[in-house]
Amino acid sequence: MKISQNSGVPIYQQIADYFRGEILEERIGQEEYLPSIRGLAKELKISVITTIKAYEQLESEGLVTAVQGKGYYVNAQDTEMLKEQHIRKVEDALLDAIKFAKIAKMSDSELVNTLKTLQKLDN
Amino acid sequence: MKAESVISCKNIQKKYGNFELNIDSIDFPKGFATALIGENGAGKTTLLEMIAGIKQIHNGDITYFGNYTEKDRENNPYVKEHIGYTGTDKHYFLPHWTLKQTKEIQSVLFDNFDGEKYDRILDELAVTNDSSSDKAKKVSDLSDGNRIKLMLAGVLARDTKLLLMDEPASPLDPLMREKLCSMLREYIASSEDNDKSVIFSTHNISDMENVTDYAIIIENGTVVEQGFVEELKEKYVYVRGEKKDEDAAKHILYDLTSNAYGFEGLCLSENIDKLAGMDIETTIPTLSQLSVGIMRAYTKLKSHC
Repeated sequence: MKISQNSGVPIYQQIADYFRGEILEERIGQEEYLPSIRGLAKELKISVITTIKAYEQLESEGLVTAVQGKGYYVNAQDTEMLKEQHIRKVEDALLDAIKFAKIAKMSDSELVNTLKTLQKLDN
Repeated sequence: MKAESVISCKNIQKKYGNFELNIDSIDFPKGFATALIGENGAGKTTLLEMIAGIKQIHNGDITYFGNYTEKDRENNPYVKEHIGYTGTDKHYFLPHWTLKQTKEIQSVLFDNFDGEKYDRILDELAVTNDSSSDKAKKVSDLSDGNRIKLMLAGVLARDTKLLLMDEPASPLDPLMREKLCSMLREYIASSEDNDKSVIFSTHNISDMENVTDYAIIIENGTVVEQGFVEELKEKYVYVRGEKKDEDAAKHILYDLTSNAYGFEGLCLSENIDKLAGMDIETTIPTLSQLSVGIMRAYTKLKSHC
């Protein structure tokens, strides 16, 4: 894990991003525990509270569960549900795009073409 | 976030001369590092000395480890054994003591003092280098930095649950400050029960940011802000803006400094909407920006009164 103090991305976010990746790509398995909060803070040379904030973010995303006195373990990832959640996010983002396209008076084909161009750029 | 407290201060009051310390309530969180931040003379040292029991007379109550009183601190060895204190006083150890004597005296004072560990830490911190002649060195021959290391080694060689440290970083060089931070994080991580806590005062806010979980900002003897650092970073936003918006922003920002080209300062997040329409850039404040902004706001307040 690479932590950058001045990348503009908050440190807790960088940690959450790293573990999200590890969990979704199943490098950390179901029911395994994330590293202890204070142990990770020590290794990464960051404060305990920053580590807690990262783990709490993962908890709010439903990826891990906190157990009092034991730490955070990885939830069984319901892949169908995860996919569902992501589809909902795509729909929300597209609804936003449609709304702004109307304000900008873009035609439907212009909007679709913009999406296609952006997809090409991303690939 | 909620945490149990390692030390609770309630209605603390102490007066001497023109200075008055007046603290309604502080709960130092257990298992975390807390920084006391404030101007010189704000009351940080006084507060630390009260908790350590060096200054004893005051109004109000201090509770230790959840259920011990100040009387217990004097009479119950559990409290004394589990608190380590390092001060800025040059004569914490008497100047004519040799390093060997500092070890002997601490093993008499504290049941849980580990002499071998003490020697090992002193070697690790390059105060000594394993030769017996070093042990004959006098405390008065040490630099300020090495005297801090000596105190640090003393408290880390014991089995404590709380370290109280008055300005530990000030006399240290950058490399040793980094080492101090690592040692404090190691200390906090060294308990399975997450029950080791550190309370330190500091002016070196940026150097200590990555070992600060909870921050308490004291000005003129009162607490003007306190909270977990990540929560304070949500409560405030750091704003930079153009000269043309300065007058309007002055009334909204919590603290504002101005230069020839524009302004910058802290804004309460709840007020950020009021800056709508201005050409501004916002960032998450660093602990240093937070502390300086809040300190300045209160210093200014005083000059207005």
